[in-house]
Amino acid sequence: MTAVGVGTARAAVTRLALRQVRRPALVVSAVAAGVTAVVVAGYESTAGTALDAAALATLAENPAVRTLFGEPFALDTPGGFTVWRTGTVLAVLLSVWAVLATTRVTRGEEESGRWDLLLAGRLAVPTVLGRHLAVLSVAVVVAGAAAGVVLVAAGTPPNGALRYAVGLVLVALFAVSTALLSAQVMPTRAGASGSALAVLGVGLLARMVGDGVAALGWLRWLSPYGLIALVRPYHDDRLLPLFVLAGAALLVGAAAMALSGRRDVRAGLVAAPAGRPPRTWLLGTVGGFAVRRMMRPLVGWSAGIGAYFLLIGLLATSMTRFLSDNPRFAELAAQAGFTELGSVRGYTASLFVLLAVPVGVFAASRLAEFVAAETDGRLTSLYAQPVSRNRLLTAETLATLAGVAVLVTVAATATWLGAALVNAPLPLTAALAGTWNVLPVVLLCVGAAILALGWLPRATAAVGALPAVGGFLLQVLADSADLPGWLAAISPFAHLAAVPAESPGWTAARVMIVIAVAAAALGRLGNRRRDLLG
Amino acid sequence: MQPPAIRTEHLTKRYGSLLALDDLDLTVNAGEVFGFLGPNGAGKSTTIRLLLGLARPTAGQARIFGTPAAEVATAHQRIAYVPADVTLWPQLTGAEILALLGSTGPGVDVAYRDELVARFALDLSKPGRAYSTGNRQKVALVAAFATRAPLLVLDEPTAGLDPLMEREFRRAVVEARDAGSTVFLSSHQLAEVEAVCDRVGILRAGRLVDVATMPELRRLHRTEVLVRFAGPAPELTGVAGVDGVQVDGAALRFTLTGPPGPALRALAATDVTTLTMREPTLEEIFLDYYGEEGR
Repeated sequence: MTAVGVGTARAAVTRLALRQVRRPALVVSAVAAGVTAVVVAGYESTAGTALDAAALATLAENPAVRTLFGEPFALDTPGGFTVWRTGTVLAVLLSVWAVLATTRVTRGEEESGRWDLLLAGRLAVPTVLGRHLAVLSVAVVVAGAAAGVVLVAAGTPPNGALRYAVGLVLVALFAVSTALLSAQVMPTRAGASGSALAVLGVGLLARMVGDGVAALGWLRWLSPYGLIALVRPYHDDRLLPLFVLAGAALLVGAAAMALSGRRDVRAGLVAAPAGRPPRTWLLGTVGGFAVRRMMRPLVGWSAGIGAYFLLIGLLATSMTRFLSDNPRFAELAAQAGFTELGSVRGYTASLFVLLAVPVGVFAASRLAEFVAAETDGRLTSLYAQPVSRNRLLTAETLATLAGVAVLVTVAATATWLGAALVNAPLPLTAALAGTWNVLPVVLLCVGAAILALGWLPRATAAVGALPAVGGFLLQVLADSADLPGWLAAISPFAHLAAVPAESPGWTAARVMIVIAVAAAALGRLGNRRRDLLG
Repeated sequence: MQPPAIRTEHLTKRYGSLLALDDLDLTVNAGEVFGFLGPNGAGKSTTIRLLLGLARPTAGQARIFGTPAAEVATAHQRIAYVPADVTLWPQLTGAEILALLGSTGPGVDVAYRDELVARFALDLSKPGRAYSTGNRQKVALVAAFATRAPLLVLDEPTAGLDPLMEREFRRAVVEARDAGSTVFLSSHQLAEVEAVCDRVGILRAGRLVDVATMPELRRLHRTEVLVRFAGPAPELTGVAGVDGVQVDGAALRFTLTGPPGPALRALAATDVTTLTMREPTLEEIFLDYYGEEGR
């Protein structure tokens, strides 16, 4: 008999972690490189020569611009412009992915029981977690480096590119450590992901407030996104914020590793409640049950979307006043896809369009969760009831649509409330028209998700999010680079009217709804004929 | 006349190149307890998924009380199902899961459900994620028996139960049969099948090898006997139930089927020093059975 060395066992765990992370890591790295490349290459055609020092100063002074897009600096260089335009987006993308990937491969695997076998071997929890931490770290280093290499290749100064890339990597590492820590504390994957994402969300809000309100500028030192903004790549190239961020990531990571040895396998430091009296509300019908399962995620999504759009409303007057005072920026913004920012209606319309992305992702995530429940067997007992498959799917779809209606209404109400507080002229009906205007794009997501559910169920999340996320990225690229018209026209965002500044594009809405309904009908046909998973 | 509880005709299921179920013709009559035996991977769970309409047959068809299995909204009005691997909603307590399944299912006998909860010693206040394998199975069993459905489809329902609970399970099956229900019990625990089933079907590698009543299956039970003796070897030729006699010096081996009386009488004349009897394992019976089929 040959003894298996601890080194061999560690290498095996490393390979396991690598297999679970490598493919999404490559996708995220490609997106980071691709978005950076398109924006830096399109710099000359969009901003290039339009800016001078005086204009920059005006821009940097406006609190609304700073709050929404971050503090602008070095906009007169391709590197500085690219960092301003894509830095926060990429940092959020990388860190959110890092959180979800970390909780998936650690707490998720443990919760499902797949780690019982692994941990019955000679490796203890801290060792196994350490191997996963190492692999995830390499993954985010690759993603950050991809953006940095593109910037260097585009001819921007290597010092700035290096600091920017290191900043991205450190934000993602902080996200990995935070997720790892919450995976030690929380006994479920959903709980661990939720609490880690809440930390990131508070960090993003702290960055926005710190950027917008001069007196609260110190808040940025407490936020990972604020810290990478404070580096000011291509301008000051500061190092101190990077050290602070690295220290925070190390501290949180070390705390996670220290705590991991002090708990039972499959348990968190927070114990799950052992028992409670039954709460039978909404358990009477499959439709009610679909709504009940959605309630908790819906509250989280509503809180996030509500907070963001409250801020949008609060900024309405300072933003529009600035843009009407500085027509050159209005022109520039129009080139970047934000038209008529000079009026409150125009400004909110531009931002309402963005709502299609989170709400579309919400819809796709609900149907993906439905497939996940089918795959792991939770739905088996309902599929064995005298209820047809498509009736269950109908219940899930209707619940999702109700959740979508809640989210767009929350966004409108929060914007209206914020605008009312600063006396900006935005009636509630106009805000509602603006947010409900994105529904055709969200319906496309629902239709695409149902189509995938019927024919390629494992791809439900990706296909369902495609109209919103893919469409939005295509729109951004079309605005920043000169894409051919037919390519830009594929994006549903190219056909969304700027409501409430303009009246809704009914024809485009009808076309999108017809496509969505056709996709859903085709999906339901497939769903009726296929074998259930699991 | 009532249609059979389950009737399959040429039921076939392929997964890619794998033939999971091959041309199954099976009839389970209303009111009988039918045992469905077979080694792992024989196609038992595939058959059940086809019967419940969870998977679609590649060829052939299945009917539940005359209704095509694919018409689940009708067919499932008369079915209760316990899966082999019970997954519960982690955030719902046992009581909430029973409430959900009761209100969306074909109906529920609340008094009987409460009685079963007590008999299975089930704590309903725990959330689904806190239940052990056996307790998850108990939740599913209580939900299924409480429906009093005309057809109970049970897929290895006792794999995680302790012997006390297994006894309660057998009682519940007998009660269901006495109330007129049909029970389709997939299992690889022969003792359980023998205790409760009227008839068994044996599946191997996706094919139905045989359908036999319990007395026929008992005939397959062959006890292995080892006798050590002093003096002359006993004469067992022609003794009822004795087969495969092997003499090895002062030891004698044979297999015994049916009552042991005649063999013991034949041994009485011999000076027996030790007598060992061993029940064959399920595996031995199966191998034996398949071996005979092969010949």
